[in-house]
Amino acid sequence: MRLALAAAVLLAAAPLPAAHSGSTLSDAAGPYDIALFSTPTAPAARGHARLVYAPSPFGVAVTADGRARYDVQITASALPAPSTLGAFSSYVAWEVTPDLSRWTRLGVVAKGTSTVGPAELNKFLLVITAEADSMPAAHAGPTVLHGTSPSGWLQSFLTHPLFRGVAP
Amino acid sequence: MTGRARAMWTEPLAAVLLLLPVASPAQQPSAPHASPTNPAPMHDMPGMSEHAMVMPIPMPAGMPMMPGLVGLAPGVTPFLPGAGLDLARLPAAKASAVVRLKNGDTLDLTATLVRRAIAGHAFAMYGYNGEVPGPLIRVPRNATIVVRFHNRIDLPSAVHWHGVRLDNRSDGAPGVTQEPVAPGADFIYRIHFPDAGIYWYHPHVREDVEQAMGLYGAMLVDSPDSDYYPPANRDAVLMLGDLLVNADSLIPFGREGPDFALMGRVGNVLLVNGEPDYALHVRRGEVVRFQLVNVSSSRTWNVSFGGAPMKLLAGDQSRFEREERVMSVVLAPAERYVVEVRFDRAGRVPLVNAVQAINHYQGEFVPEVDTLGMVTVDAAPVAPDYGRAFSTLGAHPDVSRDIDRYRGYFDRPPDKRLTLALATTALPLATVQFMSIDTAYYAPVEWVDGMPDMNWLSTSKQVRWVLRDDVTGKENMDIDWHVSAGSVVKLRIFNDPTSFHPMQHPIHLHGQRMLVVARDGVPSTNLVWKDTALIPVGATVDLLIDASNPGAWMLHCHIAEHLGSGMMAVLHVDPPAQGSGR
Ligand SMILES: [Cu+2]
Repeated sequence: MRLALAAAVLLAAAPLPAAHSGSTLSDAAGPYDIALFSTPTAPAARGHARLVYAPSPFGVAVTADGRARYDVQITASALPAPSTLGAFSSYVAWEVTPDLSRWTRLGVVAKGTSTVGPAELNKFLLVITAEADSMPAAHAGPTVLHGTSPSGWLQSFLTHPLFRGVAP
Repeated sequence: MTGRARAMWTEPLAAVLLLLPVASPAQQPSAPHASPTNPAPMHDMPGMSEHAMVMPIPMPAGMPMMPGLVGLAPGVTPFLPGAGLDLARLPAAKASAVVRLKNGDTLDLTATLVRRAIAGHAFAMYGYNGEVPGPLIRVPRNATIVVRFHNRIDLPSAVHWHGVRLDNRSDGAPGVTQEPVAPGADFIYRIHFPDAGIYWYHPHVREDVEQAMGLYGAMLVDSPDSDYYPPANRDAVLMLGDLLVNADSLIPFGREGPDFALMGRVGNVLLVNGEPDYALHVRRGEVVRFQLVNVSSSRTWNVSFGGAPMKLLAGDQSRFEREERVMSVVLAPAERYVVEVRFDRAGRVPLVNAVQAINHYQGEFVPEVDTLGMVTVDAAPVAPDYGRAFSTLGAHPDVSRDIDRYRGYFDRPPDKRLTLALATTALPLATVQFMSIDTAYYAPVEWVDGMPDMNWLSTSKQVRWVLRDDVTGKENMDIDWHVSAGSVVKLRIFNDPTSFHPMQHPIHLHGQRMLVVARDGVPSTNLVWKDTALIPVGATVDLLIDASNPGAWMLHCHIAEHLGSGMMAVLHVDPPAQGSGR
């Protein structure tokens, strides 16, 4: 089950972006890849994301309470011009809690590969929306791509945030 | 047992276990008599014992012992130092004393049994010269000292001078540079200190036992440059360790080899300089330079001082190129970092270790905060006040210039490649089932032991941690690398996240210095010379080794139980006159 899941995600991910000049890491691809899925707003859109360590002087990048901090390399293709979807000028990436209650702006997604972040939640949804400007105070526009952080895959139904508080 | 605010893991969901997939036989590649899907009866499993003393292991709140593991005990003979001795006849451990030595001086260092009182209980443990930590050896840079080591404990031992680029003969690595020092025997070490900074010494025989029981000490090497570090009102060495205790007893060790071989022995009593309640009194505005050393067997720490501003100065073997502000300090086993903290408000400031635990039953991350001690800040202001210097972030062009010689190597293809993996044999079925979902957490570091029952039962008979040479396929002590002195070696280490129970590994290289030049292809932007590098799960880390010191040098994981389960190789740095050999 786990292997099948991992294989599905790896297959969904397109070739990894070259991250370091003169050094190829593709043979040692890390696990922290996120497949992005399109929505009816932009059905042709394709994308994937990769979590890489945010800059840190230590062996891992973590917050003071121990959550891993990642920059997110987002590669998207076939995104229509935002203006074709309505009164929008930019695509913006968000880190969203699994219960959808909190949205944190990570940065602007442009053509090719954009690095945004850092993402600092243990589990999160990665959502890309069309917005009226590149620095929106809150998300308002339609979702064009979305995915789930790898640590969110393991989730028992009974403890899923969306089910909490619901009587059995 | 320390004052800890821990979220309770209160919703057991044993039903989930029924849904767990079973690991494929390939994940236990060398099981000779049983496969995970067709287990032999427990009494047939090598290393599993039903008649050894059963010592219930402390479990996290709300986490029951796995039904399939109840009644089992690790297949090693339980062993505790000083068992059966009259505790009252053992000398009480003393606090570490500073021993200032100059070039040519000699120190006698004796390992003995001592009595320690921890959290209200008395235990027979070990100390150097009756002290825990052992004497703080303070020397000027470029000094050479002689240490006469006397082993007066009940196990063979040897002393490794961690991080010091010394003469190979004094490296204290039994099996590579010397024979173990038998109980009652002695050994003479000659130690030269070429680099300023904070170092430490510890046994290199069964460190899962000897180090955990108290055999560790710090070495401060002073630079001749009085401005080496920015000014501070005081220095404090903090050796961060832990101890595994259940009720009023220590959990025994394995006589024939380590238990807790999977995750390493993660203690439930957190210790600073051997004590569970660190206390420091300072004045308002005081700048304290903390020299942090992780002496625990397995635990990676994430420490901070209640939000007080921190400035990072140095790592294992040098200052950073640039000082920088940090919110916390992450230390894997054997790593050191030097930070300054300014206490600018009167009151009590907790020293905390704040991490994310994993609830393996529910697939949840759980915040865990342990208070290691308290800094009490007086209202009276300190003099002199170094606030202005503290607010400045210095740069160290001399460090950058030293590194400049190596920058041309940063982007070259790796000379050597290692993959970190795990091979297991005949673990209990319940353990195999539970662990087979572990890769789904995607936690780069396991900060706490979330499954102590499984971990405890795993011994070095069943668990073999692996360093695998990607080119030759050779593993661990078969690797036998040779390079000539003066080589610069780019080593790429990949911690395979798809292996069975992947885990972070702090990889330590003896006798040389190295730079972490990139992680996951992202170049480091503020470099520091290191001897130990944390390789998180899934990470690909590029190390640049300045292989300048001839000799046979160990390269190993510094999690004591991983080392005890095979995770080591030897790098031969051949003198130039002899050629590179192979
Ligand atoms: Cu390890």
